[in-house]
Amino acid sequence: LLRCVQQLKNDGFRVDDLFQKCLFEEDEKEKVLRAIRTVQPNYQLPPPPNPQTCKSSLLQDFYSKEKMVSYPKLDFSAQELQEHFQQQLEMELDNTVTIESVESTKPLTPQAIKARKLLATLRSRWHSSILQALQKSKHSMSKHKMVSGYNILYPYLCLLPDEEYVGIMLQILNTLSPQGESLAVLARELGSKVYNRYVTQRKLCSGQLEKVQEVYKDYVHLLAKDSKPAKYLPREYWEKLVAEAGFGPSLNLKDCSWPYVLIMRLGMHMLELLVQAVKVPRNILNPRLEPKLIPVLYHIYSFRSSWQVGLIKPHPIFSQIVSDAAETLLTFNSSAIPMLCPPVPWTSPHFGAFVLNDTKLMRFVDGAIQHQLLLEQCPPVNLHPVLDALNQLGNCAWKINQPVLDIIISIFNDKGNEKLDIPPPMSEAPRPPAVSGNSSTWNKSQKHELLLCKKKAAEMHSLRMDALYKLSIANYVRDKVFWFPHNMDFRGRTYPCPPYFNHLGNDVTRAILLFAEGRPLGPKGLDWLKIHLINLTGLKKKDALQDRLKYANEIMEEILDSADHPLTGRKWWMNTDEPWQALACCMEIAKASRSPDPAAYISHFPVHQDGSCNGLQHYAALGRDLIGAISVNLMPCNVPQDVYSVVAQQVEEFRKKDAEQGLKIAQVLQGFISRKVVKQTVMTVVYGVTRYGGRLQMEKRLKEIDEFPEEYLWEASHYLVKQVFNGIKEMFSATRDIQNWLTESAKLIAQSGRTVEWVTPLGLPIVQPYYRSTSTVVSICWALRQQAKARQVGITCGKPDTVKQKNAFPPNFIHSLDSTHMMLTALHCLRQGLTFVSVHDCYWTHALTVDVMNQICRQQFVALHSEKILQDLSEFMLEKYCSPGRETRALWQKKLMEQLSNVPQTGEFNLKKVMDSTYFFS
Amino acid sequence: GPGILTRTLLNAGVRVVALESNSAFLPNLQSLENSLDGQLKVIYGDFFRLDPLVTGTVKPPAMCSDKLFETMGVAAVPWRADVPVKVFGILPQKKERNTLWRLLFALYECSSIYKYGRVELNIFISEKEYKVLTAKPGEARAYQALTVLWQVGCEIQLLHMEPWSSFVTNLKNGGLAVPKSMWLPNDHLCLVRLTPHQNLFTGGLKPTNSATFIFMVKQCLAKPKSRLTDRLNSWSLDNGGKLLRELEIPKNAETRDLYPEDYRRLFEALQNSSMFTETWFHDEVLESIRNINL
Repeated sequence: LLRCVQQLKNDGFRVDDLFQKCLFEEDEKEKVLRAIRTVQPNYQLPPPPNPQTCKSSLLQDFYSKEKMVSYPKLDFSAQELQEHFQQQLEMELDNTVTIESVESTKPLTPQAIKARKLLATLRSRWHSSILQALQKSKHSMSKHKMVSGYNILYPYLCLLPDEEYVGIMLQILNTLSPQGESLAVLARELGSKVYNRYVTQRKLCSGQLEKVQEVYKDYVHLLAKDSKPAKYLPREYWEKLVAEAGFGPSLNLKDCSWPYVLIMRLGMHMLELLVQAVKVPRNILNPRLEPKLIPVLYHIYSFRSSWQVGLIKPHPIFSQIVSDAAETLLTFNSSAIPMLCPPVPWTSPHFGAFVLNDTKLMRFVDGAIQHQLLLEQCPPVNLHPVLDALNQLGNCAWKINQPVLDIIISIFNDKGNEKLDIPPPMSEAPRPPAVSGNSSTWNKSQKHELLLCKKKAAEMHSLRMDALYKLSIANYVRDKVFWFPHNMDFRGRTYPCPPYFNHLGNDVTRAILLFAEGRPLGPKGLDWLKIHLINLTGLKKKDALQDRLKYANEIMEEILDSADHPLTGRKWWMNTDEPWQALACCMEIAKASRSPDPAAYISHFPVHQDGSCNGLQHYAALGRDLIGAISVNLMPCNVPQDVYSVVAQQVEEFRKKDAEQGLKIAQVLQGFISRKVVKQTVMTVVYGVTRYGGRLQMEKRLKEIDEFPEEYLWEASHYLVKQVFNGIKEMFSATRDIQNWLTESAKLIAQSGRTVEWVTPLGLPIVQPYYRSTSTVVSICWALRQQAKARQVGITCGKPDTVKQKNAFPPNFIHSLDSTHMMLTALHCLRQGLTFVSVHDCYWTHALTVDVMNQICRQQFVALHSEKILQDLSEFMLEKYCSPGRETRALWQKKLMEQLSNVPQTGEFNLKKVMDSTYFFS
Repeated sequence: GPGILTRTLLNAGVRVVALESNSAFLPNLQSLENSLDGQLKVIYGDFFRLDPLVTGTVKPPAMCSDKLFETMGVAAVPWRADVPVKVFGILPQKKERNTLWRLLFALYECSSIYKYGRVELNIFISEKEYKVLTAKPGEARAYQALTVLWQVGCEIQLLHMEPWSSFVTNLKNGGLAVPKSMWLPNDHLCLVRLTPHQNLFTGGLKPTNSATFIFMVKQCLAKPKSRLTDRLNSWSLDNGGKLLRELEIPKNAETRDLYPEDYRRLFEALQNSSMFTETWFHDEVLESIRNINL
């Protein structure tokens, strides 16, 4: 022991470091302490580090101890939250959840009963044959003494009981669509499932779970209505509790993530076992054939222009049985179901969200781990704002709008309705005309028709399954309160973790979600509901809020009719842009307006406020472009401005001038320039559309106009895209400069062999994960070594993809700003006690608090853009890419330095004006 | 373009029908047509946009082969008859591969230009595609599905090779607008004559089942190093081993080892087995048509 301690000292470590920097499992910490005390009897544990506070100027108020208020309570007792936690934990311990689908109410046909019996027999047979195949392959691997490419997977096939591997493989078989699935997707799914179970197991064995349970038990007191109010944020409270708990295992596990290649190889191996082991008698549906076993899965290649994709498809016999059986049980990974208790707060890039399911703070693009490393290296305090914002979004409690869900399910189980976005069942799929004889004798048009039918059926199947998953999950939680834990992409845009059913979904899913918490409408709430309804219809887009309200009052009769007789009445709601949300809103308005005192009516309904062309809003603010700012509603106006119309007008003016000067193409285009023609290009300018892409968009729009002469398509679209770019340049002059500056900087950085990195005003480090893909096959050993190396010295593998690094930088940078704006709004809404969630640039809150939210939203936008964003970016990049130590003499370095220092000039728009702009978000 | 090819053909004294897809070049050609007393016929159209797959009216320069042959005054002849028409042209580099696939498909289906008989193509293609068309079994990278199918379908003759450097380029850096080739030589433009085999449809192969043949070859050569037996097994074929023995194909043969003729024999043998009656194979073939007919 003495030698060990001496060695530590010699290597520059302190004994305290052991307890401050190491991760422990089970009772390791106690044992280490005991050992240390044998040689240093008086050794005392170092005090827990003082919690650090984020210094960002944007959040000074938010984090100031004096202004701290107690965290808002949920409508649950501590006891109840504890029970919810137990339910969630049990669900996650099972790894999967099997639920009744919404189709289960349909009566069973005799055919289905027969097919189900058949499937059950087959499955038990497959179970044993897969088990056999697995054991055989493991056995043959184990016989090799040396590690080689052949048996490198062996340890990974021994992590779980054999039965679990078999279960994972059988599950894949059940969810495979008749159209098949790409090899890579299936392999990744299989591999990640094994990985996830392995992580769960480690959490159980290392005692980590027990500790989480213990901490969570105390954590609920922050949220429970029957506990004392506490002036903490969820993250702070959790950290405090962990520090107080002292001994025991660390909550962060020692790093155990697997490289991408490993997950893929493992998945491939399991897939191959499936292909070989799962067989079905060929005569199972047709007893006249000879009884021969044929594989259920087969490999096939699909060709897409110049490249090929490997697919795994199920044999049609199997698909037939599955479709006959019409099974109504759906099995999901437990992370696909919303959480039944408030999520574990994010406290580090590795810890938060679900209780057991491994969730990454940042979603990653396959194989890239650079941003994960960046997050690990970043001082934890810098991540606090982002973690707190994610916790805030995740802590919003939801419930189901049952009447709307029931109407949707009734249509879904009947014949569906394509117009209302309820996918029809497969029985409604078009049938190919019955043609006699062998298909090889069909003529071209018959084949073509059959193909169209098949294509349509395949599309219908995937839409139907998607809706089935969403509705079934919604139905499963219909009587519960639930939560969506959030994480983010590499630009900081936030997403709910459960993939199928969440508030980011389509009109149908959004319409069945309500805030679990209710608030009275207050004096203006009913008006906001009405305005929200008109916004959902897509009508009156150009009218002032007052006019929208007036219109709503005029059509009150229609609204009430829709609410009272949704399917039998005049069906006004069906002809709106977002029919289901409109219907839900009609119902809410009906209930509120009929209550004795609408202002006191308790509403759970989320009201949305949308940014108008949010990307351009950020650009206009960055560049302080006056005309641009007006056109995207940064300036107060009586009626909402429409940037697309303004650009169209501008282009029309250019055209007129050119036509007068005798330019042929300008004359041809007379009468063809409209809002519709320019809209897509204007919208995508923000996302870095090039002239080339813009021209293709234009060509598409012009092609849609029947009267437009085809021979001028190329010339006209070329001309138009030039003029749209000119128009935007005129209106958003600084914007174009900024875009060019960003693009050019990214190009030089990528050319110097580095990836583009920056830090958002909230301190979130960002790296663009685009690398030139190398299709060379790498060995798992190599990948494991590489990963370890990357963690030690932070090297990155692969050269950056220059084109992607360059083209994606401007849009990614803007997205990192819009996510920052959203997070700032979320955090400040929390301080004001508002319920707040977002769908990127669409913010939701109660009708009562719309006005407050709008005010915060504008305030935070002004605050964000009052920072020297571009200046800071320039300084950060100069430091990062041109710091002296490096070979400064190089020509490219000089060029890069010049480029980065040369921050574009801005215009004279007065940012403060945003504060009074009603239509900024509306 | 400026019509060098057309003028050369006219000087050789043959009757020429010129398809011009760019309306800017039409007036000059038309005045030439008027001065030549019937030796030249000029049509506004694009040979490489014949019989587009999209339904609806065909807008020029895209056109239907029926219309084209009617205008040319050429009637359909039986497959075994002599070549009814010779086509000269330069394949657009950008969609070279696509065009080769489309022509191939028309050939096996006897549709489009091949409805009129064994139309002879004399086309300029890049050297790398020429290498593919004429590759031998086992030649890594070059021996592909395209190779097998063209060699089964046509006699392939090289008429002339011209270095790329003979061509004017419009690129700023003076480079060639030719896609770089990593594995195969690509220094020339090759004039290649593709004459459909007279006996293409005399065996078990028919225009009606040729889609299955194409599909089979593509699936086999998707992974050229895979074993043929594994391929057959994964298609749940009953007695692949016996079949290969009968065809005298070694049990451990890789798919890239088979000669084009072997694939034809394999296909004909499979016609008599149960494999193609399995429904899924039919479905896959149909599906593949959608992808081939790009």
